[in-house]
Amino acid sequence: MLKDANILVIDDEAVIRDGCSRILTKEGCRVKGVENGEAGLDLITNKGESFDILLLDLMMPGISGMEVLDALYSIDQTLIVIVITGYATVESAVEAMKKGAYDFIAKPFTPDQLRIVVRRGVEKRVLQREAENLRKEREKSLKDIAYEKSRISTIINCMVDGVLVTDRDSQIVLHNPAATRLLEIENLPIINKSLCQCVKNEYLVKAVATTLSTERSKYLEISQEITPCEGSARVFLRADTAPVLNEDGEIMGSVTVLHDITQEKELNQMKSDFLTMVSHELRAPISAIQQQLSVIEGGMAGLITEKQGKMLIRAKERTKGLLDLINDLLNVSSIDSGIVVQHKESIVLKEIVERAYQLMEPEAEVRGIKMRLETSGPLPPVNADRENMEEVFTNLISNAIKYNVEGGGVVITLRSEGEFVRTDVTDTGIGIPEKDLPRIFDRFYRVKDSQTRTVIGTGLGLSIAKGIVEAHHGTINIKSEEGKGTTVTVLLPKASE
Amino acid sequence: MGKMPKILVVDDDPDLVESVKMMLENKNYEVITAYDGIEGLQKTKEESPDLIILDVMMPNKDGYSVCAELKADPNYNNIPIILLTAVVSHIPTTTYTQRMGMEIEADDYIDKPVEPSELVKRVDVLLRKE
Repeated sequence: MLKDANILVIDDEAVIRDGCSRILTKEGCRVKGVENGEAGLDLITNKGESFDILLLDLMMPGISGMEVLDALYSIDQTLIVIVITGYATVESAVEAMKKGAYDFIAKPFTPDQLRIVVRRGVEKRVLQREAENLRKEREKSLKDIAYEKSRISTIINCMVDGVLVTDRDSQIVLHNPAATRLLEIENLPIINKSLCQCVKNEYLVKAVATTLSTERSKYLEISQEITPCEGSARVFLRADTAPVLNEDGEIMGSVTVLHDITQEKELNQMKSDFLTMVSHELRAPISAIQQQLSVIEGGMAGLITEKQGKMLIRAKERTKGLLDLINDLLNVSSIDSGIVVQHKESIVLKEIVERAYQLMEPEAEVRGIKMRLETSGPLPPVNADRENMEEVFTNLISNAIKYNVEGGGVVITLRSEGEFVRTDVTDTGIGIPEKDLPRIFDRFYRVKDSQTRTVIGTGLGLSIAKGIVEAHHGTINIKSEEGKGTTVTVLLPKASE
Repeated sequence: MGKMPKILVVDDDPDLVESVKMMLENKNYEVITAYDGIEGLQKTKEESPDLIILDVMMPNKDGYSVCAELKADPNYNNIPIILLTAVVSHIPTTTYTQRMGMEIEADDYIDKPVEPSELVKRVDVLLRKE
């Protein structure tokens, strides 16, 4: 305990100074001695030396111990001073302690007496230091918290996108001005109010509830398109809701980010209208051309040579390719205009996938590709549009066949996963280069290299599939390794009872 | 061998009409033509065809209306009608019929462009039913 303690002895008697020094040095203390108050004050105030314990004689020539005490305490209140007094000067010892001295020791004293009183002083000093450290730490963490809070509030208040945070009881605990503006909330403040009281869009309220009630092992993010309140079609928002987890992975609340997509939607609508118009205008003449080619090729307009027939067959393949492209374009624009999801019903996804599977079977056979369909466990129905789902799965299976290798395989699995029915379409095909993965769902995006050059496609299939799946509040993800194969995973929400 | 069945082809695109006509004439059907809905109705009444191939999207009167009108008329409701659809799939067709609040009772649907073998097969099936 006494080891390494810095001790200063101020006493005009050399015997006392030397005695203290000898006794305490043995204990491992570093001891300095000075013969008067001036020298002591000089060490501490001017030379900046610091001591843990000060042994101070009260009766000294020059300035008195009391004066030294006053001078020291005006600088440092925490200094531990042990006063050394002569006989019958208990009164002055009491006075010194009133001024703030920690203890006193009467002359003459035995080494043990000195050791005990100094040890107590050092103990006090250690406690004092610990308390000081704790105080500083607490101050620092309070400062950190305050800084963090101010930083977060500045960040979210500056954001153009709305941010809405709830606790696990769906009560609003944090939001920015953009959130109340975008959601057209008028009755402010909304802090500590429950979400359903403030937000007029029930889909958002539902999404938050779903996020909060999900099993903790699953990290569920819901992305949806909403309007601030039902029926208002002026403003469109994209709302991404995700749970906030604590360090044990428990759900503590939710965060929703709102992004105004009104303008994007308007632009998209214009683009869709244009696309629809152009497609129809293209479709009619190409249909006519193809029909005419069929008539000539069938010999109905007079006999043709074998060579002419072959050329006509190729010409028909080309017009058919064009028509497929136009059909895809029309499909994209109809998805954008939101027509396609009007016929949601409770359907058994397995039947749909089976039908798509059967439809694609001949194509797989031609290419020598083995297909397998696996289902595990009971599969609850999903709430979806039948035609849309056929489109999605035909598309995915078709891709798995088209971008496969001779003699490769395609495995389709269906299973129930939490709130979703999960479908994986896995192929052993050529895979997708990593650099192309982020754009694979973009419209007209096709990976063109020596292997895919010969595959006929429009680059719209996956974009359509994504559009449809998302319109059903589902998600579609793709994982791929070049040269090994690709897995597309579709999660569709189970139909609620 | 009796008289060959008479088929009325109605479409506003003359090239389409001509190619469908040739497909059918190649199988020795007698083919008469009309180029919009009103003319189609008129020809039906004048010529009493054995089957009608009717385009959906036409000026003046569209295929759905012509079909609905004929199916509602006891004099003509036994003539089989094939609707020619130029739409991507039948989703928009159902949307359309629902929006119009009417049940379209065409006997068959064929997507454009028509393949000769497909067309002849469907026509044969409907005429054999008679």
